[in-house]
Amino acid sequence: MPMDILPILASLRRHKVTAILLILEIALTCAIVCNAVFLIGLRLDRIHTPSGVADNELIMVRMSNIGGRSDVRARTLEDLAALRGIPGVRSAAILAQTPFGYSGTTSSIKLSSDQKLPTISYVSTYFGEGVVNAFGLELVQGRDFSADEYHWLQDLNLGLPGSSPRSVIVTEAVAKRLFPDGNALGKDVYIYDEPSRVIGIVRHLVTSQEWVPGQEDYSMILPMRVSPDAGMGGTYVMRTSPDQRDRVLDAAVAKLKGLDPRRVLTQKSTLEKQRATFFSADRATAGWLIATCAALLVVTALGIVGLGSFWVAQRRRQIGVRRALGARRVDILRYFQTENFLLATFGIVLGMGMAYGISLFLVLQYELPRLPAHYLPMGAVLLWLLGQGAVLSPALRAASVPPVVATRG
Amino acid sequence: MLTMNHLAKVYRTEVVETYALRDFNIDVKEGEFVAVTGPSGSGKTTFLTIAGLLETFTGGEYHLDGMEVSKLDDNARSRIRNEKIGFIFQAFNLIPDLNVFDNVEVPLRYRGMKAAERKQRIMDALERVGLASRAKHYPAELSGGQQQRVAIARALAGSPRLLLADEPTGNLDTQMARGVMELLEEIHREGATIVMVTHDPELAARAQRNVHVIDGQVVDLTEEPRFHSQTSHA
Ligand SMILES: Nc1ncnc2c1ncn2[C@@H]1O[C@H](COP(=O)(O)OP(=O)(O)O)[C@@H](O)[C@H]1O
Ligand SMILES: [Mg+2]
Repeated sequence: MPMDILPILASLRRHKVTAILLILEIALTCAIVCNAVFLIGLRLDRIHTPSGVADNELIMVRMSNIGGRSDVRARTLEDLAALRGIPGVRSAAILAQTPFGYSGTTSSIKLSSDQKLPTISYVSTYFGEGVVNAFGLELVQGRDFSADEYHWLQDLNLGLPGSSPRSVIVTEAVAKRLFPDGNALGKDVYIYDEPSRVIGIVRHLVTSQEWVPGQEDYSMILPMRVSPDAGMGGTYVMRTSPDQRDRVLDAAVAKLKGLDPRRVLTQKSTLEKQRATFFSADRATAGWLIATCAALLVVTALGIVGLGSFWVAQRRRQIGVRRALGARRVDILRYFQTENFLLATFGIVLGMGMAYGISLFLVLQYELPRLPAHYLPMGAVLLWLLGQGAVLSPALRAASVPPVVATRG
Repeated sequence: MLTMNHLAKVYRTEVVETYALRDFNIDVKEGEFVAVTGPSGSGKTTFLTIAGLLETFTGGEYHLDGMEVSKLDDNARSRIRNEKIGFIFQAFNLIPDLNVFDNVEVPLRYRGMKAAERKQRIMDALERVGLASRAKHYPAELSGGQQQRVAIARALAGSPRLLLADEPTGNLDTQMARGVMELLEEIHREGATIVMVTHDPELAARAQRNVHVIDGQVVDLTEEPRFHSQTSHA
């Protein structure tokens, strides 16, 4: 054993109140930091949710028409052609939904027409011609829609015969949920009355609105053409290189205004910005939690430094005596390090119980997920390191007390 | 056992240089019991702290048990203090947070001794100073005389060859002082070398030899009167 623990414990017993206060401080810090780090992790995971789309390349322009227009479908194709003509634009499409928006469409999917409860509900549904290309999605199986598979969304909404989609592209998450044991590709599923065949599977496509935890990838794409006045309207989505986004945005707005000056611009944004806005509350919460943790850790470290310094000053004489009786500098250093390790260990053990309690409270009160067990050893290591780091300077000061202090005081 | 030749110790502060010891010469033989006397501030404690390797010196030579002390590093000095030297201080210097047993154990732990041997030695040492029954007491629960006897037990437990005592009875009343002195004499009879600084002429008289220190130097009291008588004849 590097340093004998029993006499250190015996000595600590003579300073119970101070020792217990420090243990409580360490315990509370351990408990709060464990939970906070877990909550920060949850927020960061959310913030870093893979969208499946080319986040840094997408820009969006949304216009709203004043008054009705007769030839809207033809005009929309004209708009798209003009946008594709802007230098730097790699693709342009008009889509009804965009990722990290605040609104969207959800549908449920059944595996047979007479199934009572859907196999999967609230699947975020994307409409628009060329979604796969426009977003830059990664197709892992199957193919993209062909031009003849598309129907006008408005016709579907009006219930026109033959307008329901006979094919669908789903995410891997949806495919897995629908057919846990088999391949979804080529299977028929029921979204509308008539079956739609899964013709493609994309790696990721985040939902177009807030999701239930774990279902951020519950999305599908239907082969429907969108026009600006088709119910939910449409957003022009263009892909360009990240450094050209602002310029292309300005050019796109100018182009669209030029084609029809009566339109009103209602959205002009990059997807990156939309994503940032979507997660702003998460970022704020994470920031606040990080600040709280940092403050707690600093206060605890200062507490350890303070108490350590006080104890070293108080025990200066006995340190000198120990040196006189044969302690080496390193023995004195280890004494204070071991003492801190013991205090930290008591605090950590207590703190783990408290961490569990706090977690239980959060689970019951706020329906948060339960603190995973591996956060506890992580918190323990963190506080051990914090303690050793904080006690080092007082411990080194103790080790430098000369043995002559024993005679001179 | 302990030889100092032309030893010097200077305390330097920004303002003054104090020669605590100058041209200090002493030779203590194995098994001797030497009392060091002298006026306050003459350098007795300084001599003892250097002799006990608690402090370094500024000049001269010091040989302890055949070793040249100035050549030893800090760890070696710690080891020698631990194994060869027992200290008894005027202020007892027991560790207040530890009970009597744990106090006596301190130097033994630094020696890395096994628990069974430690316990044996601690109880033997406490037996010798008559305090075996107080092993679980804390220093604050003991009288001054008892505390000093615990300190002696602590010094004895490691069976040191050299015992250094700085006014061991300075904080004790006469009766307690006598008890401590008898204990030191007994330890000496069993073979230890003892160097004791004292103010008390009665105690000094019980040592085998007296060394008188004035102004940081050893003065030979036995030769001085002869010197005077010779001059008076002249
Ligand atoms: N740490 C120190 N710094 C400066 N001067 C010191 C220090 N320790 C002792 N002295 C001086 O050295 C001299 C001898 O002191 P000391 O050995 O304690 O004498 P004694 O024990 O005989 O009373 C005194 O003048 C004292 O003031
Ligand atoms: Mg003195």
